[in-house]
Amino acid sequence: MVYINILILTILNLMIKRYNVILFLVFLIFAACEKDDICIEGSDNTKRISIEFIDYINRQPKSIDLDSIRSVEVDSILEGISGTNLKLPLMVNTNKTKYLLEYNKTIDTLVIFHQTIHKYLNRSCGYIANFIIKSDTEISKNSGWIKEVSIENDSIFNEEKTNIFIHF
Amino acid sequence: MKKRQIFLFIFSSIFSLSFSYSQSENVLSDSLIDKNKIFNISKLRFGLDLSNPINSSSKNDKFSYEIVADLQLTDNFYLATEFGSIDKVIEDENIDFNSVGDYIKIGFDYNMFNNWVGMDNSIYIGLRYAFSDFSNKVLGYTVRNSDSYFSNFVNTNFENVNHNNLNGSWIEIVTGIKVETFNNIYLGISLRLNKLLSTKSPENFDNLFIPGFNKVTDDNTWGSGFNYTLTYSIPIGKKR
Repeated sequence: MVYINILILTILNLMIKRYNVILFLVFLIFAACEKDDICIEGSDNTKRISIEFIDYINRQPKSIDLDSIRSVEVDSILEGISGTNLKLPLMVNTNKTKYLLEYNKTIDTLVIFHQTIHKYLNRSCGYIANFIIKSDTEISKNSGWIKEVSIENDSIFNEEKTNIFIHF
Repeated sequence: MKKRQIFLFIFSSIFSLSFSYSQSENVLSDSLIDKNKIFNISKLRFGLDLSNPINSSSKNDKFSYEIVADLQLTDNFYLATEFGSIDKVIEDENIDFNSVGDYIKIGFDYNMFNNWVGMDNSIYIGLRYAFSDFSNKVLGYTVRNSDSYFSNFVNTNFENVNHNNLNGSWIEIVTGIKVETFNNIYLGISLRLNKLLSTKSPENFDNLFIPGFNKVTDDNTWGSGFNYTLTYSIPIGKKR
Protein backbone atom coordinates (compact mmCIF):
# COMPACT_ATOMS: atom_id res chain seq x y z
CA MET A 1 0.00 0.00 0.00
CA VAL A 2 2.83 2.31 0.97
CA TYR A 3 4.46 1.78 -2.37
CA ILE A 4 1.35 2.57 -4.36
CA ASN A 5 1.16 5.80 -2.39
CA ILE A 6 4.76 6.51 -3.23
CA LEU A 7 4.05 5.91 -6.89
CA ILE A 8 1.07 8.24 -6.90
CA LEU A 9 3.04 10.87 -5.03
CA THR A 10 5.96 10.64 -7.39
CA ILE A 11 3.75 10.92 -10.45
CA LEU A 12 1.96 13.90 -8.92
CA ASN A 13 5.29 15.40 -8.05
CA LEU A 14 6.32 15.03 -11.66
CA MET A 15 3.18 16.56 -13.00
CA ILE A 16 3.67 19.59 -10.78
CA LYS A 17 7.29 19.92 -11.70
CA ARG A 18 6.59 19.09 -15.37
CA TYR A 19 9.78 17.16 -15.56
CA ASN A 20 9.08 14.43 -18.06
CA VAL A 21 5.34 14.36 -18.06
CA ILE A 22 5.53 15.40 -21.70
CA LEU A 23 7.56 12.30 -22.45
CA PHE A 24 4.96 10.14 -20.76
CA LEU A 25 2.26 11.77 -22.83
CA VAL A 26 4.24 11.14 -26.01
CA PHE A 27 4.48 7.48 -25.09
CA LEU A 28 0.79 7.26 -24.34
CA ILE A 29 0.00 8.78 -27.72
CA PHE A 30 2.30 6.32 -29.44
CA ALA A 31 0.79 3.40 -27.59
CA ALA A 32 -2.74 4.51 -28.43
CA CYS A 33 -2.17 5.48 -32.06
CA GLU A 34 -0.43 2.44 -33.45
CA LYS A 35 -0.62 2.66 -37.19
CA ASP A 36 -3.23 0.47 -38.84
CA ASP A 37 -1.97 -1.36 -41.87
CA ILE A 38 -4.64 -1.43 -44.55
CA CYS A 39 -3.91 -2.68 -48.03
CA ILE A 40 -4.62 0.12 -50.48
CA GLU A 41 -7.40 -0.65 -52.96
CA GLY A 42 -5.31 -0.16 -56.10
CA SER A 43 -2.46 -2.40 -54.96
CA ASP A 44 -1.21 -5.22 -57.16
CA ASN A 45 -3.42 -8.28 -57.05
CA THR A 46 -3.48 -11.91 -58.18
CA LYS A 47 -4.65 -12.17 -61.78
CA ARG A 48 -6.98 -14.68 -63.42
CA ILE A 49 -6.29 -16.62 -66.57
CA SER A 50 -7.90 -15.19 -69.70
CA ILE A 51 -9.40 -17.73 -72.11
CA GLU A 52 -10.75 -16.99 -75.58
CA PHE A 53 -12.93 -19.33 -77.62
CA ILE A 54 -12.17 -19.58 -81.34
CA ASP A 55 -13.54 -21.55 -84.24
CA TYR A 56 -11.56 -24.69 -85.02
CA ILE A 57 -11.75 -24.22 -88.78
CA ASN A 58 -11.46 -20.51 -89.55
CA ARG A 59 -9.64 -19.54 -86.28
CA GLN A 60 -11.91 -16.59 -85.62
CA PRO A 61 -13.40 -15.73 -82.19
CA LYS A 62 -16.63 -17.59 -81.79
CA SER A 63 -19.28 -17.04 -79.15
CA ILE A 64 -20.11 -19.94 -76.87
CA ASP A 65 -22.87 -20.78 -74.40
CA LEU A 66 -21.38 -22.99 -71.70
CA ASP A 67 -23.76 -24.87 -69.44
CA SER A 68 -21.49 -24.86 -66.41
CA ILE A 69 -17.92 -24.48 -65.24
CA ARG A 70 -16.55 -25.94 -62.09
CA SER A 71 -13.22 -27.11 -60.79
CA VAL A 72 -12.43 -30.66 -59.75
CA GLU A 73 -11.40 -29.54 -56.23
CA VAL A 74 -14.35 -27.28 -55.40
CA ASP A 75 -17.95 -28.40 -55.44
CA SER A 76 -19.60 -25.08 -56.14
CA ILE A 77 -20.38 -24.27 -59.75
CA LEU A 78 -19.17 -21.11 -61.43
CA GLU A 79 -21.96 -19.55 -63.45
CA GLY A 80 -22.35 -20.61 -67.04
CA ILE A 81 -21.10 -18.02 -69.46
CA SER A 82 -21.90 -16.82 -72.91
CA GLY A 83 -19.54 -14.82 -75.09
CA THR A 84 -16.08 -15.28 -76.49
CA ASN A 85 -14.03 -14.55 -73.34
CA LEU A 86 -13.72 -16.31 -70.03
CA LYS A 87 -11.65 -15.42 -66.98
CA LEU A 88 -10.93 -18.12 -64.46
CA PRO A 89 -9.00 -18.07 -61.18
CA LEU A 90 -6.04 -20.41 -60.80
CA MET A 91 -5.07 -22.25 -57.63
CA VAL A 92 -2.40 -20.29 -55.77
CA ASN A 93 -1.16 -23.16 -53.60
CA THR A 94 -0.40 -25.73 -56.30
CA ASN A 95 0.95 -25.93 -59.86
CA LYS A 96 -2.06 -27.47 -61.54
CA THR A 97 -5.66 -26.31 -61.93
CA LYS A 98 -8.38 -28.53 -63.41
CA TYR A 99 -11.67 -27.24 -64.76
CA LEU A 100 -14.70 -29.13 -65.99
CA LEU A 101 -16.30 -27.33 -68.91
CA GLU A 102 -19.80 -28.42 -69.81
CA TYR A 103 -21.15 -27.64 -73.27
CA ASN A 104 -24.16 -29.25 -74.92
CA LYS A 105 -24.43 -31.70 -71.99
CA THR A 106 -20.91 -33.02 -72.55
CA ILE A 107 -18.02 -32.33 -70.15
CA ASP A 108 -14.40 -31.80 -71.08
CA THR A 109 -11.60 -31.42 -68.56
CA LEU A 110 -9.19 -28.57 -69.05
CA VAL A 111 -5.92 -29.14 -67.19
CA ILE A 112 -3.82 -26.00 -66.79
CA PHE A 113 -0.26 -26.54 -65.67
CA HIS A 114 1.31 -23.40 -64.32
CA GLN A 115 4.34 -22.25 -62.45
CA THR A 116 3.17 -20.32 -59.38
CA ILE A 117 5.40 -17.59 -57.97
CA HIS A 118 4.49 -15.69 -54.82
CA LYS A 119 5.67 -12.13 -54.65
CA TYR A 120 5.80 -10.20 -51.39
CA LEU A 121 4.29 -6.71 -51.47
CA ASN A 122 4.15 -5.42 -47.89
CA ARG A 123 2.72 -6.19 -44.45
CA SER A 124 -0.78 -5.00 -45.19
CA CYS A 125 -1.17 -6.68 -48.60
CA GLY A 126 0.97 -9.77 -47.98
CA TYR A 127 1.79 -11.92 -50.99
CA ILE A 128 0.27 -12.04 -54.46
CA ALA A 129 0.59 -14.88 -56.96
CA ASN A 130 2.07 -14.62 -60.44
CA PHE A 131 1.59 -17.44 -62.93
CA ILE A 132 3.42 -18.74 -65.96
CA ILE A 133 1.44 -21.22 -68.02
CA LYS A 134 3.37 -24.32 -69.02
CA SER A 135 3.22 -25.86 -72.46
CA ASP A 136 1.79 -29.18 -71.24
CA THR A 137 -1.57 -27.52 -70.57
CA GLU A 138 -4.08 -29.83 -72.18
CA ILE A 139 -7.56 -31.18 -72.56
CA SER A 140 -8.15 -34.63 -71.25
CA LYS A 141 -10.68 -35.81 -73.81
CA ASN A 142 -13.70 -37.51 -72.41
CA SER A 143 -16.21 -36.75 -75.07
CA GLY A 144 -14.42 -34.13 -77.02
CA TRP A 145 -16.23 -30.95 -77.84
CA ILE A 146 -12.91 -29.15 -77.51
CA LYS A 147 -10.66 -29.82 -80.45
CA GLU A 148 -7.47 -28.09 -79.41
CA VAL A 149 -5.88 -25.83 -76.82
CA SER A 150 -3.14 -23.38 -77.73
CA ILE A 151 -1.12 -20.99 -75.57
CA GLU A 152 -0.97 -17.38 -76.70
CA ASN A 153 0.68 -15.62 -73.74
CA ASP A 154 2.29 -17.80 -71.11
CA SER A 155 2.71 -15.17 -68.39
CA ILE A 156 -0.32 -13.78 -66.61
CA PHE A 157 0.43 -10.20 -65.69
CA ASN A 158 -2.81 -8.56 -66.69
CA GLU A 159 -6.31 -9.71 -67.49
CA GLU A 160 -6.56 -7.91 -70.83
CA LYS A 161 -4.40 -10.17 -72.96
CA THR A 162 -5.65 -13.62 -73.89
CA ASN A 163 -3.53 -16.39 -72.39
CA ILE A 164 -4.98 -19.48 -74.04
CA PHE A 165 -7.25 -20.23 -76.99
CA ILE A 166 -9.79 -23.00 -76.91
CA HIS A 167 -10.60 -24.29 -80.38
CA PHE A 168 -14.01 -25.89 -80.87
CA MET B 1 29.90 1.57 -39.57
CA LYS B 2 26.88 3.31 -38.08
CA LYS B 3 26.79 0.88 -35.18
CA ARG B 4 30.33 1.63 -34.26
CA GLN B 5 29.77 5.34 -34.27
CA ILE B 6 26.78 5.04 -32.00
CA PHE B 7 28.65 2.81 -29.59
CA LEU B 8 31.44 5.34 -29.53
CA PHE B 9 28.99 8.13 -28.88
CA ILE B 10 27.36 6.35 -25.95
CA PHE B 11 30.57 5.26 -24.35
CA SER B 12 32.33 8.55 -24.86
CA SER B 13 29.39 10.40 -23.36
CA ILE B 14 29.43 8.10 -20.33
CA PHE B 15 33.16 8.29 -19.91
CA SER B 16 33.41 12.03 -20.48
CA LEU B 17 30.80 12.41 -17.82
CA SER B 18 32.66 10.30 -15.28
CA PHE B 19 35.86 12.04 -16.25
CA SER B 20 34.42 15.48 -15.63
CA TYR B 21 33.20 14.28 -12.27
CA SER B 22 36.59 12.93 -11.28
CA GLN B 23 38.17 16.20 -12.32
CA SER B 24 35.88 18.26 -10.17
CA GLU B 25 36.56 15.86 -7.34
CA ASN B 26 40.24 16.72 -7.44
CA VAL B 27 39.54 20.41 -7.39
CA LEU B 28 36.82 20.47 -4.82
CA SER B 29 37.93 18.07 -2.14
CA ASP B 30 40.34 15.39 -1.12
CA SER B 31 38.37 13.63 1.57
CA LEU B 32 37.09 10.09 1.10
CA ILE B 33 33.53 10.85 2.12
CA ASP B 34 33.10 13.52 -0.50
CA LYS B 35 34.60 11.27 -3.12
CA ASN B 36 31.91 8.70 -2.46
CA LYS B 37 29.26 11.32 -2.90
CA ILE B 38 30.56 12.44 -6.27
CA PHE B 39 31.48 9.15 -7.87
CA ASN B 40 29.12 6.77 -6.20
CA ILE B 41 29.45 3.21 -7.49
CA SER B 42 27.39 1.56 -4.81
CA LYS B 43 24.82 -0.48 -6.60
CA LEU B 44 24.79 -3.29 -9.12
CA ARG B 45 21.32 -4.51 -9.97
CA PHE B 46 20.33 -7.69 -11.76
CA GLY B 47 16.84 -8.53 -12.75
CA LEU B 48 14.38 -10.35 -14.95
CA ASP B 49 11.60 -9.10 -17.14
CA LEU B 50 8.30 -10.60 -16.02
CA SER B 51 6.15 -9.74 -19.02
CA ASN B 52 7.99 -11.92 -21.54
CA PRO B 53 7.78 -15.29 -19.72
CA ILE B 54 4.14 -14.66 -18.81
CA ASN B 55 3.32 -13.73 -22.39
CA SER B 56 5.15 -16.68 -23.91
CA SER B 57 3.65 -19.25 -21.55
CA SER B 58 0.10 -17.95 -21.95
CA LYS B 59 0.36 -18.17 -25.74
CA ASN B 60 1.97 -21.63 -25.76
CA ASP B 61 5.12 -20.19 -27.30
CA LYS B 62 8.57 -21.37 -26.40
CA PHE B 63 10.27 -19.70 -23.45
CA SER B 64 11.27 -16.08 -23.95
CA TYR B 65 13.15 -14.03 -21.42
CA GLU B 66 14.95 -10.75 -20.82
CA ILE B 67 17.71 -10.15 -18.27
CA VAL B 68 18.29 -6.59 -17.12
CA ALA B 69 21.24 -5.09 -15.27
CA ASP B 70 22.36 -1.65 -14.24
CA LEU B 71 25.37 -0.22 -12.48
CA GLN B 72 25.24 3.02 -10.57
CA LEU B 73 28.02 5.34 -11.73
CA THR B 74 27.16 8.57 -9.97
CA ASP B 75 24.27 9.67 -7.79
CA ASN B 76 21.89 9.76 -10.69
CA PHE B 77 23.64 8.09 -13.60
CA TYR B 78 23.40 4.38 -14.30
CA LEU B 79 25.02 2.25 -16.93
CA ALA B 80 22.20 0.00 -18.08
CA THR B 81 21.90 -3.09 -20.23
CA GLU B 82 19.32 -5.66 -21.29
CA PHE B 83 19.78 -9.02 -22.90
CA GLY B 84 16.90 -11.01 -24.26
CA SER B 85 15.98 -14.12 -26.17
CA ILE B 86 12.69 -14.40 -28.02
CA ASP B 87 10.92 -17.32 -29.68
CA LYS B 88 7.51 -16.16 -30.69
CA VAL B 89 4.80 -17.04 -33.21
CA ILE B 90 3.24 -13.92 -34.68
CA GLU B 91 -0.15 -14.17 -36.32
CA ASP B 92 -0.37 -11.16 -38.55
CA GLU B 93 -3.29 -10.23 -40.76
CA ASN B 94 -1.98 -12.07 -43.83
CA ILE B 95 1.12 -13.90 -42.67
CA ASP B 96 1.89 -16.17 -39.72
CA PHE B 97 5.55 -16.48 -38.86
CA ASN B 98 7.88 -17.60 -36.11
CA SER B 99 10.46 -15.08 -34.95
CA VAL B 100 13.49 -16.45 -33.12
CA GLY B 101 16.42 -14.35 -31.99
CA ASP B 102 18.55 -12.68 -29.35
CA TYR B 103 19.11 -9.02 -28.65
CA ILE B 104 21.33 -6.82 -26.54
CA LYS B 105 20.72 -3.25 -25.47
CA ILE B 106 23.28 -1.01 -23.84
CA GLY B 107 23.12 2.58 -22.66
CA PHE B 108 22.42 4.65 -19.60
CA ASP B 109 19.63 5.82 -17.32
CA TYR B 110 19.35 9.16 -15.60
CA ASN B 111 17.33 9.35 -12.40
CA MET B 112 15.19 12.47 -12.06
CA PHE B 113 13.57 11.73 -8.75
CA ASN B 114 14.74 13.15 -5.42
CA ASN B 115 14.27 10.50 -2.79
CA TRP B 116 13.32 11.09 0.78
CA VAL B 117 15.91 9.97 3.28
CA GLY B 118 16.17 6.20 3.44
CA MET B 119 14.30 5.56 0.22
CA ASP B 120 15.67 4.40 -3.05
CA ASN B 121 13.12 4.83 -5.80
CA SER B 122 13.71 6.28 -9.20
CA ILE B 123 11.93 7.84 -12.11
CA TYR B 124 14.33 7.83 -14.97
CA ILE B 125 14.88 8.56 -18.59
CA GLY B 126 17.49 6.78 -20.63
CA LEU B 127 18.97 5.96 -23.96
CA ARG B 128 19.97 2.59 -25.43
CA TYR B 129 21.72 1.30 -28.46
CA ALA B 130 20.34 -2.12 -29.37
CA PHE B 131 21.24 -4.90 -31.76
CA SER B 132 19.43 -8.09 -32.67
CA ASP B 133 20.31 -11.25 -34.59
CA PHE B 134 17.30 -13.28 -35.57
CA SER B 135 15.46 -15.46 -38.05
CA ASN B 136 11.86 -15.26 -39.27
CA LYS B 137 10.22 -18.46 -40.46
CA VAL B 138 7.06 -18.11 -42.54
CA LEU B 139 4.51 -20.68 -41.36
CA GLY B 140 1.53 -19.81 -43.51
CA TYR B 141 -0.03 -16.97 -45.40
CA THR B 142 -3.07 -15.92 -47.37
CA VAL B 143 -2.37 -14.84 -50.92
CA ARG B 144 -4.04 -11.58 -51.86
CA ASN B 145 -6.66 -12.47 -54.43
CA SER B 146 -9.91 -10.76 -55.35
CA ASP B 147 -11.25 -14.18 -56.32
CA SER B 148 -12.05 -16.56 -53.49
CA TYR B 149 -13.29 -19.56 -55.46
CA PHE B 150 -10.26 -21.56 -54.35
CA SER B 151 -8.61 -21.37 -50.95
CA ASN B 152 -5.88 -18.75 -50.99
CA PHE B 153 -4.14 -20.11 -47.91
CA VAL B 154 -0.63 -21.50 -48.37
CA ASN B 155 1.06 -23.49 -45.62
CA THR B 156 3.42 -25.78 -47.50
CA ASN B 157 6.08 -25.16 -50.13
CA PHE B 158 6.32 -21.80 -51.91
CA GLU B 159 7.37 -19.01 -49.56
CA ASN B 160 7.08 -21.04 -46.36
CA VAL B 161 10.80 -20.85 -45.72
CA ASN B 162 13.09 -19.93 -42.88
CA HIS B 163 14.77 -16.59 -43.47
CA ASN B 164 18.06 -16.82 -41.59
CA ASN B 165 20.85 -14.40 -40.70
CA LEU B 166 18.72 -11.31 -40.31
CA ASN B 167 19.67 -8.43 -38.07
CA GLY B 168 18.62 -4.99 -36.99
CA SER B 169 19.92 -2.15 -34.89
CA TRP B 170 18.04 0.66 -33.27
CA ILE B 171 18.05 3.42 -30.64
CA GLU B 172 15.65 3.38 -27.71
CA ILE B 173 14.42 6.29 -25.67
CA VAL B 174 13.47 4.88 -22.29
CA THR B 175 11.33 6.22 -19.51
CA GLY B 176 10.45 4.27 -16.42
CA ILE B 177 10.02 3.87 -12.70
CA LYS B 178 11.79 1.62 -10.20
CA VAL B 179 10.37 1.22 -6.72
CA GLU B 180 12.14 -0.52 -3.83
CA THR B 181 9.41 -2.78 -2.56
CA PHE B 182 11.49 -4.86 -0.17
CA ASN B 183 15.02 -4.36 1.01
CA ASN B 184 17.20 -4.49 -2.12
CA ILE B 185 14.33 -5.76 -4.29
CA TYR B 186 12.89 -3.43 -6.90
CA LEU B 187 9.83 -3.54 -9.11
CA GLY B 188 10.09 -1.53 -12.26
CA ILE B 189 8.23 -0.68 -15.39
CA SER B 190 9.66 1.03 -18.42
CA LEU B 191 8.31 2.26 -21.74
CA ARG B 192 10.44 2.43 -24.82
CA LEU B 193 10.23 4.38 -28.02
CA ASN B 194 12.37 2.73 -30.70
CA LYS B 195 13.89 4.23 -33.81
CA LEU B 196 15.19 1.67 -36.28
CA LEU B 197 18.60 2.56 -37.69
CA SER B 198 19.40 -0.32 -39.99
CA THR B 199 18.05 -3.74 -40.77
CA LYS B 200 18.94 -6.63 -43.02
CA SER B 201 15.79 -7.85 -44.73
CA PRO B 202 15.31 -11.19 -46.49
CA GLU B 203 14.48 -11.60 -50.15
CA ASN B 204 10.80 -11.62 -51.02
CA PHE B 205 9.79 -10.95 -47.41
CA ASP B 206 10.32 -8.19 -44.89
CA ASN B 207 11.23 -7.92 -41.23
CA LEU B 208 7.78 -7.53 -39.73
CA PHE B 209 9.05 -8.30 -36.26
CA ILE B 210 12.47 -7.83 -34.72
CA PRO B 211 13.10 -9.40 -31.29
CA GLY B 212 13.57 -6.54 -28.82
CA PHE B 213 12.28 -3.95 -31.23
CA ASN B 214 8.86 -5.61 -31.64
CA LYS B 215 6.47 -4.83 -34.48
CA VAL B 216 7.80 -3.06 -37.55
CA THR B 217 5.12 -1.29 -39.57
CA ASP B 218 5.10 -0.43 -43.29
CA ASP B 219 7.24 2.55 -44.32
CA ASN B 220 7.90 3.42 -40.71
CA THR B 221 11.06 3.16 -38.64
CA TRP B 222 9.42 3.79 -35.26
CA GLY B 223 8.41 1.13 -32.79
CA SER B 224 7.57 0.74 -29.14
CA GLY B 225 8.06 -1.64 -26.28
CA PHE B 226 7.84 -2.05 -22.56
CA ASN B 227 9.10 -4.26 -19.79
CA TYR B 228 8.08 -5.08 -16.28
CA THR B 229 11.04 -6.02 -14.17
CA LEU B 230 11.92 -7.54 -10.84
CA THR B 231 15.49 -6.67 -9.86
CA TYR B 232 17.79 -7.47 -7.00
CA SER B 233 20.44 -5.01 -5.91
CA ILE B 234 23.87 -6.27 -4.91
CA PRO B 235 25.41 -3.67 -2.61
CA ILE B 236 29.02 -3.26 -3.73
CA GLY B 237 29.85 -0.03 -1.97
CA LYS B 238 28.80 1.65 1.23
CA LYS B 239 25.09 2.02 1.33
CA ARG B 240 24.00 5.53 2.09
